[in-house]
Amino acid sequence: MRGRVVGQHWYTPYAFMLPGLLFYAAMFAWPAVIAIQLAFSDYDIVHPVRFSGLDNFIQLGHDPRVWIALRNSLLFVLMFLPLTVVAPLFLAMLVNLRLRAIQAFRMLYYLPVVTSMVAVAVAWRYVFNREGVVNWLLGLFGTGPIDFLLDRHWALPTVVLLEAWKNAGLFMMIYLAGLQAVPSDQVEAATIDGANAWQRLLHVVVPSLRPTFAVTLVLSMLEAMRAFESVYVLTRGGPLDSTLTLGYYIWSKAFEDYDMGYASAVGLLLWAIMIVLAGFNLLVTRRRDV
Amino acid sequence: MARRLYRRRPRISARRVGLYVLLIAVAALFIGPFLILLSSATKPASQDVFGFPPDLIPRPPVATWFREAWTTIPYARFLVNSVIYVGITVPVYLVISALTAYPLARIAFRGRGVFFMLFLSIMFLPGELMLIPRFLVMSQLGLTDTFASVILPAVLSSLGIFLLRQAFSQIPDEIVEAARMDGANEFAIFWRICLPIVAPTLAVLAILGFVSVWNSFIWPLVVLTSQSKFPIALGIAYLSGVAGTDVRGLAAGTVISLVPVIIVFLLLQKRILNSMGGAVKG
Repeated sequence: MRGRVVGQHWYTPYAFMLPGLLFYAAMFAWPAVIAIQLAFSDYDIVHPVRFSGLDNFIQLGHDPRVWIALRNSLLFVLMFLPLTVVAPLFLAMLVNLRLRAIQAFRMLYYLPVVTSMVAVAVAWRYVFNREGVVNWLLGLFGTGPIDFLLDRHWALPTVVLLEAWKNAGLFMMIYLAGLQAVPSDQVEAATIDGANAWQRLLHVVVPSLRPTFAVTLVLSMLEAMRAFESVYVLTRGGPLDSTLTLGYYIWSKAFEDYDMGYASAVGLLLWAIMIVLAGFNLLVTRRRDV
Repeated sequence: MARRLYRRRPRISARRVGLYVLLIAVAALFIGPFLILLSSATKPASQDVFGFPPDLIPRPPVATWFREAWTTIPYARFLVNSVIYVGITVPVYLVISALTAYPLARIAFRGRGVFFMLFLSIMFLPGELMLIPRFLVMSQLGLTDTFASVILPAVLSSLGIFLLRQAFSQIPDEIVEAARMDGANEFAIFWRICLPIVAPTLAVLAILGFVSVWNSFIWPLVVLTSQSKFPIALGIAYLSGVAGTDVRGLAAGTVISLVPVIIVFLLLQKRILNSMGGAVKG
């Protein structure tokens, strides 16, 4: 490290970081402390906060809706992963072709990423309506119509599909960056050795994309675990709790029932799951040569 | 350059045509819902919005529903609010991120790594989980239902600090040393020399900031009670509640909310798309 530099004092770095540190304290650290405190308290906005020990966590253990929410969140992850970790790789390979106007296609596929979840959900209501385009297509194959958002078997997969559709462009661009870093001499060597497109994908491209898979896997899991806006705007957790995710349950306990303490306890549970998932992913990727 | 070397002379082949058909089919998957929305918003009253087979071409296209959405809902107000939110949040976000990232990249001091980890930890405090405690912080500060309450949580992000730290640390030492020889103090070096050099990164962050503030919905829903302060995305949710049965008005309102963000995206798409790969690789 360098010695003291002209024009720098001991406090110079802290002076630069001061506004950032203030915002960090007010908008992240302090709320995090409050979240933990609330999880061990009773609070309904009207009455003052009252310490209640482990009551919320005991309640959590006996609350069947938490288990429904947890199961739905895990189902969400399971359905979401193939749609965001695998499918966008094929999209990326498609837009990695050297073709005229390929940039325009990248742009079109990315469009849902920059639009608001509210607008996207409204658009989807027109598509997945009972008399909408999807049901017309199903009709051509002799099935349907299905009330996608009103049927308790279809509502969750439909919300997952919306989330995956909205985020596909983002994952595609992450893979595209990864693909463009794949050494082209290796691909050429494999071609000369007589590997077909599928073999090249499996034995050359996929192994060298390992760090990219690690990134998309973490992003995808965390995104799915906290899924909430899409549930809010499409189904409000219904029908019959079939789309009740942990994120939505926390919101509805806090801002519909004003049971802030209990909602915070469920929040800590979600937090713990997310940290475990992220930590697990870090461990897995650390072991490899990243 | 490399691309041009590899690109083959354009010629029509079955493979090429097939690839374009595939590309267009996939494109329909991603922009189809938006087109259906647009078609619902411009169909005359005499034409059904739904039905088999789908009748997607408006005959003739009308602007009635846009006018209706505009008059029944205070749309202009929502749009102005969103412009205010973006206009204040994004510049403050850029300045604070840059100030914070600068010493993390260019000043040697004790605990630098700890501070960097501290700011990166924001990544593990997702907004959805902060709704309740932040709501309470805002009421403790007496700020609920104010413009400030929407802006304050959005001015610090780990991505901003992370990308700017990368950009600052790539500035060659010689440039900074030359300024030091001339007696410039650290802030002058930051403001007049380093900040202009990282302008491309600032531009990317400004775009991402615009998109995220424009689309923000859940936090304003929690912290705002007066409709007169709603941003546009919350306005749409409000419209879908008020005019739940008016499918055309809702479609028109939603199209209105999409226009600014799509224009920005079309104008700056190269920057946005390139930033994604960089952000993840970096």
